[in-house]
Amino acid sequence: MTVPARIPGGKAIWVGIFAELTEFTLMFLVYFFARINHPQAFHEGPQKLSLAAGTANTVIMLSSSYFVARAVLAMRKGRSDITLRWLFAAFATAVGYPVIKVLEIRWNLDHGVVGRGDVFQMSYYYLTFNHLVHVSWGLLGMVWIMFRTGFGAYTANNHSGLIAFASYWHATDLIWLMIFPLFYVLP
Amino acid sequence: MTTASKLNLSWLILMILTLSGMLVGEYAEAGFWITVSVAGVTALKGRLIIDQFMELGQASPLICRIVKIFGLVVPALMILTYLLGPELAQVTQLPD
Repeated sequence: MTVPARIPGGKAIWVGIFAELTEFTLMFLVYFFARINHPQAFHEGPQKLSLAAGTANTVIMLSSSYFVARAVLAMRKGRSDITLRWLFAAFATAVGYPVIKVLEIRWNLDHGVVGRGDVFQMSYYYLTFNHLVHVSWGLLGMVWIMFRTGFGAYTANNHSGLIAFASYWHATDLIWLMIFPLFYVLP
Repeated sequence: MTTASKLNLSWLILMILTLSGMLVGEYAEAGFWITVSVAGVTALKGRLIIDQFMELGQASPLICRIVKIFGLVVPALMILTYLLGPELAQVTQLPD
């Protein structure tokens, strides 16, 4: 008897995740196309951005992702009370992402980094705003998952909704891990 | 090692790699080995997320393969465009 391949969280969420990965792959290709044609702008670009803001958001995304992984682990043991605590930690951390983004954009505007700037700045705004949209959806999804967990909708044997959300959130974290070096680190 | 310990260790490594990236961004000059280092660290961080947080090793091989390839696209393009940037720029420019 063949065992069906496991799809974490179900097929529907993976349609969304693959759409997200495809969208960002195309945007990364545009980034590299711009980079090879405007090497000077991309060489000088990272120095104009706030490395502290980029690093802070990386720490936030990674830590929030870690908390979600711990929430899944707790649910697997049937501890929905502990799951909810990890999800609260994930949410409280992740809310820092849009807050840092707002502060970063203010800092950018004060330092002349604007959407109508050079090709580096345009691609920076386009990619990071898109990612912010995906994080915002993830935050809404996290609230929904917290409600469901709080009302006892998941058990140790049946928590595919939680797994679906976790898969989306980790994928969004993975994308940020690619964005961070491209705009803040790579000289 | 328990799953919780693996998650804790992965998070710690990810933090150390992120802070090392911050130092590179602050002090490093452009160069081949810096590009390779940044690409390597990016690939490693991606792989930790995929293996430890997403646990895709236990998922459908197709899903696992696609996400792992995604995690390598950006690091590979970092090195490729560093080595062949001008040549690729010529190929990708529209004729006048």
